[in-house]
Amino acid sequence: MRNTRSTELIFELSKPGCSGAHLPPCDVPLRPVAELIPAEALASKPLPLPELGEPDIVRHFVNLSTLNMSVDTHFYPLGSCTMKYNPKRNERIAAMPGFANLHPYQSDDTIQGMLELLYRSQQMLAEISGLPAVSLQPAAGAQGEFAALLVAAAYFRDKGIKKSVVLIPDGAHGTNPASAVMSGFTTVPVKSTANGLIDLDDLKARLNDGVAVLMITNPNTLGIFETHIAEIAEMVHEVGGLVYLDGANMNAILGITRPGDFGADLMHFNPHKTFSGPHGGGGPGAGPIGVTEKLAPYLPSPIVVKDGGRYRLDYNRPKSIGRVRSFFGNTGVLVRMYSYIRTHGPDGLRRISENAVLNANYLLSRVKHFLPVPQGDRCMHEFVASATRIKADRDISAMDIAKRLLDYGFHAPTVYFPLIVKEAIMVEPTETESKATLDAFAETLERIVTETPEQLHDAPSSAPVSRPDEVRAARQPMLTWKPTAT
Amino acid sequence: MPYLLNNAADQKAMLASIGAASIDELFAMVPAELRLGRPLDVPPALGELALTSHLGDLAAKNDAAGSGVCFLGGGSYDHFVPAVVDFIASRSEFVTSYTPYQPEVSQGNLQAMFEYQTLIAQLTGLDYSNSSLYDGGSAVAEAVLMAMSVNRRPGRVLIAASVHPDYRQILATYLANLDVELVVLQTPGGTLDPETLRTAIDDRTACLLLQQPNFFGCVEKMEVLAKIVHDAGASLVTSVDPISLGLLKRPGDAGADIVVAEGQSLGTPMSFGGPYLGILACREKFLRRMPGRLVGQTVDRSGRRCWVLTLQTREQHIRRDKATSNICTNQALLAVRAAIYLSTMGPTGLAEVANLCLQKAHYAAEQLTKSGRLTLAFPQPMFKEFVVRATDGRVDDLLAKAQAAGIFAGLPLGRWYPELDDCLLVAVTEKRTKEEIDKLVSIVGG
Repeated sequence: MRNTRSTELIFELSKPGCSGAHLPPCDVPLRPVAELIPAEALASKPLPLPELGEPDIVRHFVNLSTLNMSVDTHFYPLGSCTMKYNPKRNERIAAMPGFANLHPYQSDDTIQGMLELLYRSQQMLAEISGLPAVSLQPAAGAQGEFAALLVAAAYFRDKGIKKSVVLIPDGAHGTNPASAVMSGFTTVPVKSTANGLIDLDDLKARLNDGVAVLMITNPNTLGIFETHIAEIAEMVHEVGGLVYLDGANMNAILGITRPGDFGADLMHFNPHKTFSGPHGGGGPGAGPIGVTEKLAPYLPSPIVVKDGGRYRLDYNRPKSIGRVRSFFGNTGVLVRMYSYIRTHGPDGLRRISENAVLNANYLLSRVKHFLPVPQGDRCMHEFVASATRIKADRDISAMDIAKRLLDYGFHAPTVYFPLIVKEAIMVEPTETESKATLDAFAETLERIVTETPEQLHDAPSSAPVSRPDEVRAARQPMLTWKPTAT
Repeated sequence: MPYLLNNAADQKAMLASIGAASIDELFAMVPAELRLGRPLDVPPALGELALTSHLGDLAAKNDAAGSGVCFLGGGSYDHFVPAVVDFIASRSEFVTSYTPYQPEVSQGNLQAMFEYQTLIAQLTGLDYSNSSLYDGGSAVAEAVLMAMSVNRRPGRVLIAASVHPDYRQILATYLANLDVELVVLQTPGGTLDPETLRTAIDDRTACLLLQQPNFFGCVEKMEVLAKIVHDAGASLVTSVDPISLGLLKRPGDAGADIVVAEGQSLGTPMSFGGPYLGILACREKFLRRMPGRLVGQTVDRSGRRCWVLTLQTREQHIRRDKATSNICTNQALLAVRAAIYLSTMGPTGLAEVANLCLQKAHYAAEQLTKSGRLTLAFPQPMFKEFVVRATDGRVDDLLAKAQAAGIFAGLPLGRWYPELDDCLLVAVTEKRTKEEIDKLVSIVGG
């Protein structure tokens, strides 16, 4: 039951003199602050932070939390995001003091267990990807892309090869071109064919000596495996380029096929997708990268190495690109990843992908009769339907359908991505949903497309708010709370 | 498998609906010659009990700083995390939701983000905060990129040697392939001398990157430096310790144009370096070039106050190669933790925490240098960290002795500063007791 009194802004709930802080008295001799810090460096007045006691804080944030849909409460088929179940054992393990209370600058001999876990994680990711050298440092998939492209640039510079272009298929995640530009490359798009695969003729036309990297997502953002991936990789390698795999869709191919085996030279993983790290309302994630042997010297520093029976952080890597993040990356997420991989083992990992692909294909088989899926009868872990026809016929858009789903207790799929499908509805059920849930979702979707346009334009009608005015938010940005003048 | 819900009958019915004879047939798109054709060579599956034991064994091979006594700092600190932070931040609805693409069913996250943005603006004294970046280090790089872009001076960046060496390395890595001159200003006295800055800055300089208090724990003369920076038409980017703002002048009030910080101190465990929280706040003129998610207030179609992701035309999913940054997923859950922490502390609590750090650090510095075996490397005003030099040069011995007594005495600096290879950086948080400090003194300094 919602309590709207507690979900006023925390600043509006503030009352002078209240505090949730409960600190010990100072047990060393107190000295006047003015003796220790020069006056010009000291604050002249108290911070304008809110003042609340602990019960009010708990009631406020707990009530706020109830305004979210989440994987633990709802089916969340957000395409490209792999919103699978987040195992609770992983949370308990990551919170063990032997992991959670480690300072990142403790000496190697006091963190042998953590280094062993990270070393084994490097090895497991190398095996899963078929790429022998792994860095766990990047903090998210996008930072993994960036780090890997810096690795590619450093490799070419070291070999005295001048290359400046990154090719990116038009269906790619927006992070791909953004990462390429940040790492100093220029980007050139590559077209897709009508069935969603890379247009080989267009690729051929774009390939030349200036091409450093082709960034490819496989399975791609339409949920289709690039059947010609080996040929594509060969074409890129022929001009001396490298193939980068965006690993966002690894949930489809664990133990089935490996990026290193189909021609990728570099890739990133998204442990918060593939390996069940919870998404946290938008992070934290992690973005480990894997590369071939010849690119290994350029990986970020440090890497965990094993000397005899002892693990240590190796900083002596003269060709390394340096660092993209402080310390050793999002290790708390990596502990969860390690637990997840160890929970599954070789057969279990394969069954993840088998069931993710089964669930997606089943849902596709239920949906395609009433909502066209332009790119085919089969998919891998996700598929992209289109509301183009229903939009033309009845003025019902992908957004209308998404909003109406919320009324029926389902989180919406990703809409309007990828950009190459008009009125795109991108559905990724993941392996941790039951047939019964998928049936209920398909039936709801079918019911929605028969509802009146008015019903849909007004949706959602049962959520706490409906269709926020996004134009106003952007035109008159109000990004902080300000006290009203009294 | 504990996380799969479909039994054999379900699978059979599903395959029938698909029109496939087997699950294997669903992978027909994957050419046979590219199939792995063998089980992955990873260790066998572990049940929950065995898994928990195995991870418990690995955890037990570590000496948790929490079970010993931690004087390590350098960007990660052993501050106290109130139970209320862990309790609220482990709510399923915060932990297992994602980026609020559907605002109607994400108002909890959106409002918490809006509150976080406001709290950070209040804390830093600046106009705007984004809703988080990865960590304090990459936030430095994003801030510098933003200053280069907004000031239209992409060619030159100044950075004080007293900024965290790892942050400097991250910045150098981020800028490696861009045509920019990165100039390190030496800080032999422990802080940046205004004259050094005056000599180095020119009309091509986009910004100065400063840390306050700096890596050595010393308080920089920020207002003087800010004036020199502004007179040259550049921006001041400052990396701050958020806890210090319980006492120190807010960076926005002291002349900083962009403030970044490692937000770990605000309610997040040390967790061997991550996940952490990158804080970024700025003045109005940088708003449209900010990296990362922003949450804005608006109204819905019934006029109800609500919150949405906004100004998204800065971002990679809209602008692709023209985006202000490639960041997508950020550190939302850590930002929620910071919001809970700051709300819990309030102005008086944060001032109290800061004062405890200040008092205990000064007590420790005084006691450690009493006998003369250790001296202060930089006799400057400091907040909660300071550098001591071992007059006999034997830093390793000293660390080993302390470690044998269950104390992490400090961070040896030789790895980054060869001239400081006889020095330790010592951090003292509110958690350290007089007894612990006295014990450290008796082992290494007395």
